[in-house]
Amino acid sequence: MPEDVRTRSYPVGIAGVALGELERSVPDDEAPPLPPNARLNAIGRSTPRLNGPAKVTGRATFTVDVKLPGMLHARMLRSAHPHARILSIDTRAAERQPGVRAVHVIEHPLGRANEIPSPGEPDAAHRRVRYVGDPIAALAAVTPQAAQAALERIVVDYQPLPFVIDLEDARQSDAPRVFDRPVRTEFFLGPAPQLPQHGNVHGPDTSASRGDAAAGLRAAELVVEGEFRTQVQTHCCLEPHALVADWRRDGLTVYISTQFTAGIRAELAEAYGLPLNRVRVVVDAMGGGFGSKSRIGNYVLAAVELSRKAGAPVRLALDRREEQIDSGNRPSTVQRIRLGARRDGTLTGVAIEAYGSAGVALGASVGNFAQSIYECADFALEQSDVFTHAGPGCAMRAPGNVPGAFAYEQVIDELAERLGLDPITLRERIDPSPLRREQRRCGAERFGWSRRQPPGSSPGTLKRGLGMAQSHWPALIQINSSCEVRILRDGSVEVRSSVQDIGTGITTVLAQVVAEELGLTPQAIAVHIGDTDFPAGPPSYGSRTTASITPPARNAAYRALRLLMQVVAPSLGATAEGLIARGGRIGTADGSRSITFREAAAQLRNDQISAVASRSDDYGGFGRRMGDAAIGRMGLGGVQFAEVTVDTETGRVHVERVVAVHDCGRPMNPRQIESQVHGGILQGISYALFEERILDRHTGQMLNPNLEQYKILRARETPAIEVHVLENYQGNSATDAYGIAEPSIIATAPAVANAVYNAIGVRLRVLPMSPAAVLTALGRVPSRSAPP
Amino acid sequence: MLDKTPSDGPDAAQRPEADTVGPYAVPITLRVNGMTHTLSITPETTLAQALREQLDLTGTKIACDRGACSACTVWLDGAPVCSCMVLAIDVGAREVTTIEGLAAGEALHPVQAAFIEHDAIQCGFCTPGLIMSCVALLRRNPRPGEDEVRTAISGHLCRCGTYPHVLSAVLAAARAAES
Amino acid sequence: MNGFEWMSPGSVEQAARAASATVATAMARRSGTPAADAAVLKAGGIDLLDLMKEGLLAPRRLINLRTLPGLDRIEPAGGGLRIGPNVTLAQLAAEGRLRTRWGALADAAGGAASPQIRQLATLAGNLLQRPRCWYFRSRAHHCVRKGGDTCFAFAGENQYHAIFEHNGCAIVHPSTCATALVALGAGLKITDRAGAKRTVSLEEFFVLPELELQQENRLASGEIVTAVELPEQRASVRSVHLRYAETESFDWPLADVAVVLDLAEGVCRKAAIVLGACAPAPHRARAAEAALTGQRIDEALARAAAHAALQGAMPLSRNAYKVPIFEALVRRAILAVLAA
Repeated sequence: MPEDVRTRSYPVGIAGVALGELERSVPDDEAPPLPPNARLNAIGRSTPRLNGPAKVTGRATFTVDVKLPGMLHARMLRSAHPHARILSIDTRAAERQPGVRAVHVIEHPLGRANEIPSPGEPDAAHRRVRYVGDPIAALAAVTPQAAQAALERIVVDYQPLPFVIDLEDARQSDAPRVFDRPVRTEFFLGPAPQLPQHGNVHGPDTSASRGDAAAGLRAAELVVEGEFRTQVQTHCCLEPHALVADWRRDGLTVYISTQFTAGIRAELAEAYGLPLNRVRVVVDAMGGGFGSKSRIGNYVLAAVELSRKAGAPVRLALDRREEQIDSGNRPSTVQRIRLGARRDGTLTGVAIEAYGSAGVALGASVGNFAQSIYECADFALEQSDVFTHAGPGCAMRAPGNVPGAFAYEQVIDELAERLGLDPITLRERIDPSPLRREQRRCGAERFGWSRRQPPGSSPGTLKRGLGMAQSHWPALIQINSSCEVRILRDGSVEVRSSVQDIGTGITTVLAQVVAEELGLTPQAIAVHIGDTDFPAGPPSYGSRTTASITPPARNAAYRALRLLMQVVAPSLGATAEGLIARGGRIGTADGSRSITFREAAAQLRNDQISAVASRSDDYGGFGRRMGDAAIGRMGLGGVQFAEVTVDTETGRVHVERVVAVHDCGRPMNPRQIESQVHGGILQGISYALFEERILDRHTGQMLNPNLEQYKILRARETPAIEVHVLENYQGNSATDAYGIAEPSIIATAPAVANAVYNAIGVRLRVLPMSPAAVLTALGRVPSRSAPP
Repeated sequence: MLDKTPSDGPDAAQRPEADTVGPYAVPITLRVNGMTHTLSITPETTLAQALREQLDLTGTKIACDRGACSACTVWLDGAPVCSCMVLAIDVGAREVTTIEGLAAGEALHPVQAAFIEHDAIQCGFCTPGLIMSCVALLRRNPRPGEDEVRTAISGHLCRCGTYPHVLSAVLAAARAAES
Repeated sequence: MNGFEWMSPGSVEQAARAASATVATAMARRSGTPAADAAVLKAGGIDLLDLMKEGLLAPRRLINLRTLPGLDRIEPAGGGLRIGPNVTLAQLAAEGRLRTRWGALADAAGGAASPQIRQLATLAGNLLQRPRCWYFRSRAHHCVRKGGDTCFAFAGENQYHAIFEHNGCAIVHPSTCATALVALGAGLKITDRAGAKRTVSLEEFFVLPELELQQENRLASGEIVTAVELPEQRASVRSVHLRYAETESFDWPLADVAVVLDLAEGVCRKAAIVLGACAPAPHRARAAEAALTGQRIDEALARAAAHAALQGAMPLSRNAYKVPIFEALVRRAILAVLAA
C-alpha cells in the first residue's frame, strides 16, 4: 500500500572502506534510518553488561538456584544397556519408598528419531532403549537423596539386544539395527525430508547438489581429494539442563534453563493440550546452551508430568554424567571431498560424500558451508546419517558448518598449494564475498601473514606455522519476534520481551537500542526479558537473536516516543513531528525549547504508554522464508588467522595467536561481540585439539562422561586473540544488526589445521589433533612390538 | 505413604564411640562470611550443598561436582578450594568465604568491578568461582604476571571462553590497586 | 554418595584400630557391589569423595585423619626431610626447603590437579589414590581391579593406559608425587593397629598387578602412613620432575618423569630415573640410569639414555604414541637437571 510506505536513504557498505547510501521503501511506522555508529550515542558503544553486578556478586538467579515452597526433587532412571527391549518396569517398590511423591514412566521419548509405528507388530508393545542413558522413568521425592534412593528400587526387566557403536561397523549391512523400520524426526523447521533407509544408513540427502559435478570434475585440470573425520563433541554447558515445573490447576509455570522461552511454551502447550495463556516459561540468568537447550526434552516432560501427578513444584537438574551422555552433542562426520579446478583456481566441480552419526537421532550434517562459500556451478553433496546405539546429537554452535569447514577449508588450502598460489590469493579468485575480501586484507595485515614460510620449513623440533580459514553462516532472522517498550509516568522505561539472555548480552543491547531512540542512557532502561508473560521473542540459537529482536525493540521505542511526543507537543508549542529526544530531553530540533524526559513523562494521562512492535521483513526482502524464520539475502562471514607451534617430539599443538575479522551488520556492543568471538575461537580450538566423546565399543558406555577426561581448553591453552569487527551496513532493518556466535567458531578448526600443516608439512585430516594424531601423522609412533 | 526423614538417629550413648556421629543429621557450626551458622546436615553433605541448600548462598555453583571445573570455588581460611570436594562436617573452625562475602555492602570488590568493566562474563555461571580464585591470587600476590593469573585460574572451566577478558580484568585490577 | 558415620579419632592409634578396610579392600568385591560395612580412613578426601560420588565405594564409616595434630608438618630429619602425611600439595609446591635438593617433589606437587585441589589434597592421599583408568572408574565395568574377571582396557579404549608391566591390568599409577619420591629414594613410615611401626621404601611399597591385582601398594587394612621420609641428598644432587599432558591447565599426565642426578664436574656419579603414567606402579628406568652413571652427560648421551628407558615397552593397541613422548620427556628431564 503506497500510502504506508516511505522511501528512505540508508547507509550501506563497510565503514572506513566504502560507505554509500541506498534508497529503501520501508513501512511508514518503521523508525527512521540510523546513521553509522560513529554518530550514535548508545548503540555501538561497549556499554558494560547491565546484569554484570548480579553475575559478579552471585546474586543472579539461574534456574538451578530457583527454590519454590514445597518443591520436590526429581531424578531420572536411565538405561544401563546400549540396546535392550524393556519387558517390564515395576515401580511399586519405588513408590513405597519414604518421601516419594510421584513416579512417571517414559513411554514415548523425544529428541531422537522414532520409528513410524506399524500397528499389530508384537514388538510394538515393548519399548526399546537404544543407548546407555536412554531415559526410562523419573520420580520425584522430598529430597534429592530420597529420589536417588527410590530410583534404585525401580525394577526394569531388560532383554539385551545386539548393538553397534562404531560408525564404520554400523554401516555394514549385517550390523545390528538401531531401527527396524523407517523413522521420522522433527527438525527445527518442521519434519525432516523422507529419505531412503537401508540398515542403519539414512539417506543420502542430495538436495544441496546442483549442476553436474562429475562433468565438472572431468573438466578439471587438477583434482584435489581428501577424506576427513571429525569426532563427537559435547556441549558441556556449565549450568546443567534444569527446570522447576509448577503445575497448578490454573496453569503451568516452568522455570527452565533454555535458549527459547517462547518455543518451550509452545511445545508444552501442544504436549499437554493447554492454551498458550495457561503456560508460562521463565528464565532469568542462563548458564550456557550452545544449541542443546533449544527444545523440550524428556527431562522437561518428566518434570512437568511429575509436578502434575504430585501437585507440587518439581525440580529436575541433570548431573554432569547425564549432561555428557544425554543432553545432545555435535555429531561425528566422515567427509570425502573431490574438488576439481582449472590452473587459474576456478572451481570446475566439487563432489562431497559425507556420512556421520548423531547416534539415535538424525542430523550428522556437514552444513551449507561447501555449497555456499565459493563459486562452483557443478556441485554434488551426498550426505547420510548412520544410526548407532549412542546418545542423540542435536544442534551445537554452527551445526554442520563446523565439521564442514574443517574439511573444506583444508582442501582449498591444498588446492592453493598444488596451484602454487598463496591461500589468500586463491580465495581472492573464488570467493565472491566483498566482505571477506576486506576481512582477508585487514586480517592478513594485522596478523602479519607475509611472515608465512613454506610448509614444513620451520627449523628445529618446535615448529611454527601460520594458517587461515574462512567462515560462512546464513543470516537467520526470527520473524516471529516481538518486543514491548513502556514509558512510565515517572520517566522510567521498560523493555519487555520473552527473549532470553543466555550470556550473549542481549539484555544490554536492548537497553542500548531503546536508550538510543529515547535519548537516554542504557543504564536508565529496565530490561525485563526471559518470561513468556511478555511479548514473544526469538530463540537464542542460529545467531539470530540480535537480528530478530533489536529492530522491534527500536520500533517499539520509536512508536512509544511518538505517543509521548504527541502528548507533550502542545506544551512545547510544537508538533510531535518536530520534536526530538536527545541527552535526556525532549525538545524542538533547533534546541530552542525542551523539557526533560521525566517532565515529559509526567504529562502522561495514564501511568504508562506502551508500544509493541514485531520484526518486519528485511527492507530488501529475505533470501528465503521458512515458517517463523527467514534467511537474509547476505550471509555472515569472517576470516581467522592462527599461529601455532607443534612440538614434533611430543605431538603437542599449541595455538599461540589468533586474529579474527568478522562482520555482524551494525555492531551493537563491540566488547560483548569480542567476548562472543573469543568464545567461538576458544570452543573451536578446543574442538580442534582436545575434545572427544569416547564410547567403549564393547559396552556402549561413555568412558569420559565428566569434565576431567573429557578434555576442554582452559586458561593455559588460551592464545592471544585479536578481534576486529567490520561495520557492515546493508539497510535491512531498523537496526541493521546481526549475530556473531556461530560465524565466530566456523573458521577456527580449519585455520588451526592449516597452520599445523604449515608448521610440519603433514596434513591432519582427523579431529581432534591430539598428540597421538600428530605423532601418528609424523610417522613417529612405533608399530606395536609385543602383544598385550 | 509414610514419610520418614532421616533426622532422628539412635542415641549417642548407643554408639560404639562417642566421637562418632551420623549417618543421621548432625548439628554443625559453619563460619561463613563472618557470620556463624548452626545447621543440621548429614555427614555426606558437601560444603557446596550446605551453602546452597541450607544457607541459600546460591552464588556458589555446582557444575561437575567432582572438583574438575572449580565453579564451586570458595575460600577456606582464605585459600581457594573446591567446595564440592569438602564435606561440610569437615570444615570445622575454618572460615568460609563465598562470593556473597566479597563485596562490602553495595560496593563491589575491585576485581568484581574489573570483571564488569572488561566483560569477563558471558553466561556467568563460572564467574563467582573465577572471581574467588582471582581475588585470592591478588591477596597472595598483588602484582601477578599474566602467567600467574593463568595458573591461578587453570582449574576453572569457562565454556563461554571468557579467559582473555578474565586475564585482562585481573591484571587491570592489580594495576589499579597499585596506583 | 551414600550416608555414613563420621568418626573423629583422638590419635593415629585410635584411627588405625577403627579402620576395618583399606579403600582397595572395600572396593574389590566379587559381587561388584562395594562393601557396605567398611570403616575407611580419610585425609584430604579428594579421591575418597570422588569414588563415593561415583558409587564405587560406599563405606559405613569415615575416620577423619585430617584434624589429627602434628601430621601436617615438614621437618628436618637427619640430613633429609620428614613430611607429614597431611601436608597438602599446595604446601609442598610452596616449600622452599624442597627447592634446593628435592625439587622434583615440588615440581610434581605443584603440577598436580588444580590450585583448588592442591589446597585440599594431601601427600599421603596423593600417593594412595586409586588409578584413573576409566574402566576402573566406571560402575558399569566390573574390572579385575575391583574384583571382576576382565581388564577391559586390553581390548578396549587404552590410549591412556600402561606401556610397561601391564600383566593382567593396564592401569597407570596416577600419582606424580610417587614418581618423584621413588626417584628421590623416599620411604614411608607406617603404623599399624597394634601401634607397630615400620618403614618401607616407596619403591617397594608400590606393587605390580602380577603381585597384587586389586591394590597398587602394600598398605594393609588398619595401617596408616605417618610420614614420608626424604633421605639426605648430597649438595651435588639435582632433581627435576616433568609432566606432559594433553592440556596444561588441568589434566592427568600422558607421561611424567623424575630424574635425580648426582653430578660432579659434569660427570654423573649416580642417577635415578623414574617414569610415571606408564605402568601400574612408578617405573624405574634402570637401563637409562646405567647409561648415565659414570659418564659425562651431553645431549647425545641423554638421548641414548632416553632411548634405553623405553626399551622393552609393550604398548597396547592405541597407546604406542606414548613411547616417543616418554623418550622426549626423559631426555628433556635429564637435560633440565643439567641446567638446574
